[in-house]
Amino acid sequence: MSITATKMLARDWRGGELGVLVMALVLAVGVVSGISAFTSRLQNALEQESHRFLAADVVVSSSRELPAQWIEKSDVDGLQHALTLQFPSMVYVGEDTMSLASVKAVSEAYPLRGALTYSTEPFGAVVSADAGPRQGEVWLDSRLFALLDVTIGDTVTVGEATFVVAAAARTEPDQGSSFYGYGPRVLMHYADIPATGVVQPGSRVEYRHLYAGASASIADFTQWLEPQLQDGQRVITVEEGQPGISNALDRAESFLLLAGSLAVVLAGVAVALAARRFSERHHNYVAIIKSLGATSGTINRLYGSSLLLLGLMATVIGCLLGWGIQALFFYLFADQMPVQPGPSGVRPYAIGAVTSLTCLLCFAWPPLRRLGQSSPLRVLRRDLPLEGRRAIQDYALGLLAITLLMWWYSADWKLTLAVLAGLALTAGLGFCLALTLLRGGRLVGMSAGSIWRLALAGLQRRGTANALQVVIFAMAIMMLLMLLLVRTSLIDEWQAQLPDDAPNHFMINIGPEDVQPIEQALRLENITSEPFFPMIRGRIMSVQGADLPITDDVEEGRRQREINFTWSDTLPADNKLLAGQWWEPGTEEALVSLEEEFAERMGIEVGDTVGFLVGSQVLETRVASIRQLDWQSMRPNFFLVFPPRLLAAYPATFMTSFHLDATEKSFLNRFVRNFPTVTVIEMDVVVEQIRTIINQVSAAINLVLIVILAAGGLVLVAGVQASVDARVHESAILRALGAQRRLILGGLLIEFATMGMFAGLLATVAAELSVFILQTTVMEMDYTPTPWIWPLGIVAGTVIIGALGVFSCRRVVSAPPVEVLREL
Amino acid sequence: MAGSELEILKGITLEIKSGESVAIIGASGSGKSTLLGLLAGLDEATAGSVTINDTDLGALDEDGRALFRGQHVGFVFQSFQLLPALTALENVMLPLELQGQSKAQEQAEHYLQRVGLSARTGHYPLQLSGGEQQRVALARAFASKPSILFADEPTGNLDKTTGDHIIDLLFELNREEGTTLVLVTHDHSLADRCQRRLRLDGGALVQE
Repeated sequence: MSITATKMLARDWRGGELGVLVMALVLAVGVVSGISAFTSRLQNALEQESHRFLAADVVVSSSRELPAQWIEKSDVDGLQHALTLQFPSMVYVGEDTMSLASVKAVSEAYPLRGALTYSTEPFGAVVSADAGPRQGEVWLDSRLFALLDVTIGDTVTVGEATFVVAAAARTEPDQGSSFYGYGPRVLMHYADIPATGVVQPGSRVEYRHLYAGASASIADFTQWLEPQLQDGQRVITVEEGQPGISNALDRAESFLLLAGSLAVVLAGVAVALAARRFSERHHNYVAIIKSLGATSGTINRLYGSSLLLLGLMATVIGCLLGWGIQALFFYLFADQMPVQPGPSGVRPYAIGAVTSLTCLLCFAWPPLRRLGQSSPLRVLRRDLPLEGRRAIQDYALGLLAITLLMWWYSADWKLTLAVLAGLALTAGLGFCLALTLLRGGRLVGMSAGSIWRLALAGLQRRGTANALQVVIFAMAIMMLLMLLLVRTSLIDEWQAQLPDDAPNHFMINIGPEDVQPIEQALRLENITSEPFFPMIRGRIMSVQGADLPITDDVEEGRRQREINFTWSDTLPADNKLLAGQWWEPGTEEALVSLEEEFAERMGIEVGDTVGFLVGSQVLETRVASIRQLDWQSMRPNFFLVFPPRLLAAYPATFMTSFHLDATEKSFLNRFVRNFPTVTVIEMDVVVEQIRTIINQVSAAINLVLIVILAAGGLVLVAGVQASVDARVHESAILRALGAQRRLILGGLLIEFATMGMFAGLLATVAAELSVFILQTTVMEMDYTPTPWIWPLGIVAGTVIIGALGVFSCRRVVSAPPVEVLREL
Repeated sequence: MAGSELEILKGITLEIKSGESVAIIGASGSGKSTLLGLLAGLDEATAGSVTINDTDLGALDEDGRALFRGQHVGFVFQSFQLLPALTALENVMLPLELQGQSKAQEQAEHYLQRVGLSARTGHYPLQLSGGEQQRVALARAFASKPSILFADEPTGNLDKTTGDHIIDLLFELNREEGTTLVLVTHDHSLADRCQRRLRLDGGALVQE
């Protein structure tokens, strides 16, 4: 029988519904495996990226020298290692010129991840280095050149050793955000430390061991290491990575998963529709084969094997498509990727195959299985009704399959439920509404012209079937609108967060007397800066009168710690008040405003009293408000804000941030010469990196949207095809009776366009609801109403469904009616 | 019959001998097709029984009847009922393959040659004329060497000349193969060529 099965399959291809079935499966597998491969490769790349911020896979730090046997053990385990030591020290040129610097000594292997960069002149073109400074050489921070009045090739002294200035140190992968620390950077070789004689027991230094290797070995090593840690020794892993980018990426991932889930739903519906039409068309064939002696078992085997063959084909093509989608993407953006993404492995394709199998079993097989029960009597009586072809258990099975697939795929109940809620609303409301409106149309149509009468009579006659069709159209349009809405608001938000002129340089340690001259200097160069924020360093001591514990080896958590404050009479831009009230300008009360997460970590609420040590004076303050900050804004942000009066007596420095184009970098040379005490922190590379990643993810989202649009289009085609047979048959009779081409096409156009309009309207309502749920619960974004989707949804529904319907039925006016009637 | 208490056939008792040719005639709606469906085991009677070659069709389920049809029954239909996805040859081979016959192709080719279509074995039904399609159907019906052949208005969709050719061929093959023939028609001249004529009138059988 297998020869007959393949033969039938090949010939049935022409019927169209097999094409839709295979295309739907291919798209489902393609989108699911493509998105899955894409996200896993991107995650892989970003994990590497986050390792870059450590310059290693795992780091141990301590203020005392770390045991050498750890290094030996890492060698045995096949890991790479590097050593760094960081300490503050004076750098001299001759007797008189000196500057406080943050010295970092690195061993040859440093960095194990990411790259060290330098330039051959201060603030010059950045070059990647293979290794750090050689023994006897140092690299200086760009601004040290001005401060010390040296150039490349001059010598400087650190402690008791003299070094040749070999380059300007630009970026280290692990320089991190601890820029409030010491002074400008001096990089030297690890082996030069003893010669300087600066590091003595009790010096304020940080030793680091850096390790890198295969992730399994690293995990084993870390597990071996952790129990041996003593006080003051700390393991730093990648999990303490970059919150800024990861937030954006989490949302992007939610979006992609949503897209994938919708693709599965759309493809499932398309598969079910195509399979049902296929099955309806095949009842007659089955009757013939049965009359010739085939049992229901034979029929099931015949169609089962056909389906399996189709499924296999579609899965293979779908996996290729999925591979192609993500490969195309990474190919297009290879130059901009910060790191080369690793392979995705076979898992995404396994996910694709499971999706395909589920679609086949739950959507395609139920209608085909009933072919086996088809009565052979149809060879004599074609008008026999197709029994139970819309069995309720099919819908239940389909719904269950969709729910489980979506959940399995997104691992997010909220997302699954938001989509299901939208679908349920469309289905329930839509069916009632469509039925009522289509019935109402009949009354209006009675008095209208003949085209309208014909069209509306057609709509009414197949009332239930049409209502179902409207619901299916509406679901497809709803999901597309939903995706379009979420995509647009995501990308808009990202762009708003990082506009082209987002600040990319920070300026700290500005003395009060320098504020005005600097403002003037910036204005002269046409550089716009954020406001200047005063900055005071103090220590948080107690909450509600109780002293906080003093432990220095935990970074986070409830403890006494040094922290930067600012003061302000107004709520800083971008800050959002979550609780409490902002103080009246000029208040003399002892108040403080806290950042949300900081307050949470310290267990502080509005109204609590918090004690601070500023200088030598203890300040008892009451918490007036709690604020939310936008950490991605690249503007100065503070955990703690006080009313100005309270801190006015204490000495403060100021900070600000500003945007500087790459072409204007030379401004910094002049600037540090004029304001030697000010520290400029260059964040432009990081900002550019974030922007690149966001651009890539936006591009990925657009690419995925296009693929999903194709899936939605397929559902519409399958939905239109489902009713084409009956409509073509009726139109052929009308043609035979002498109806004009215009009347028939006009009637069909009105019929389909009316359904499209209802579907568009319904879809818009449901899309707004789903997006509201999604944005407020899953994506954690602010919901904004989008009036533009209303005309879009309705017009698109009317035009697309109208055009597709007429296109699918075009044969009725091009082929002779007899031929059409004989075929059906 | 099923559903709405409508009695289509009333108290029919009929015996057809092996090798006999019988015509069942009657007006539209007289129940001809229903009777044919029951006799051929395509349908189940709500009461009464049908026995062919000592097999009680009523005692078999649909799959049992399907196997029985494959071995003992052949069909020729008014609307030909060829599978459009298969070539003429494959259509004739289909019942043979269903029975698992090893020489299906040879046998199918033989019968196609017998109906004068050896040049058109690779054509699909839509590429054949109505007369040619019905000849393929004849070849398919006889290829499985049925003991009884049911023909339902075999000339109903054909013009007079073509129809006459088909009927000549049908009776010729029937004689050669020694098949029992049950022919349903409203064409009296066609019915006259059978050994026995039965007329259905309002669901009751009248011997002519």
